Amino acid sequence: MFALLLSPPDYLQGDSVRIMYVHVPSAWIGLASFTSIALLSILSFIFKIKNLNLITKSIAPIGLMFTCLAIVTGSLWGKPTWGTWWAWDARITSMMVLSIFYILFILSHKLIEQEDKANKVSNIIAIIGLINIPVIKYSVDWWNTLHQPASIKLDGTSTIHSSMLLPLMLMLLVLLLYCALILLMKYKTEIIRIKKKNIKRI
Amino acid sequence: MIENFILMNGYGLYVWLSFAITFLACGIIYYKTYKTLKKYEKDFIKEFDQLPESEKKLVLSKSKVASQVLATYNKSI
Repeated sequence: MFALLLSPPDYLQGDSVRIMYVHVPSAWIGLASFTSIALLSILSFIFKIKNLNLITKSIAPIGLMFTCLAIVTGSLWGKPTWGTWWAWDARITSMMVLSIFYILFILSHKLIEQEDKANKVSNIIAIIGLINIPVIKYSVDWWNTLHQPASIKLDGTSTIHSSMLLPLMLMLLVLLLYCALILLMKYKTEIIRIKKKNIKRI
Repeated sequence: MIENFILMNGYGLYVWLSFAITFLACGIIYYKTYKTLKKYEKDFIKEFDQLPESEKKLVLSKSKVASQVLATYNKSI
């Protein structure tokens, strides 16, 4: 309601700016999910904790979904703003590369039957994919892109008005709660799968 | 007023489609995840039911997950 009704239209982009309320949180979640997968993969390599692999496996589908949503909603925003659905722009292309890393990560778990080997391969994919995260973040500064630079910065120099920032943060909160719910359900599924496999050894 | 809200000065199609795709995807993933969880719980119970009584007691005493799955499954049926 906040995003669709109460927040004001942009002086330049008009009502199309409302797409931001789903596009930006989706992109943030997609990036944050992959960063956490990669960091947990590094920890898993160092400390050999099996639970970390279950967590990364549970996060991956959520991250992939939000990365795809960011690309699709970005495309829907691009048409009225730039006049095209798609451009091989640095930000969009690097997001596309992120989704490929997610797909490779998920496929490695699905296609490799030996669990230890699947975990190793997926961890390597996640660690290599981590290189792409700063590329996505700084692509708008390093190259001349159609995509606008960041409006929200952690150092307090944000250029977004509070009437737009509030619904954006509310939407982020709602989507994060949704992610937590899905993550817990997927993690529980993984635990049950393992327990079922070892039921006679419990 | 309502017409303006729906049309959004010509951007309605893009805005509504973005929100619809986002919430639809979230709904589908929730439904799929929920179904998979229930399927695994059901399979686990099936496997558990095939165990002899003494092993069942052992599994329940040693595994918190097993007793939790059994409790939630019994509640849902």
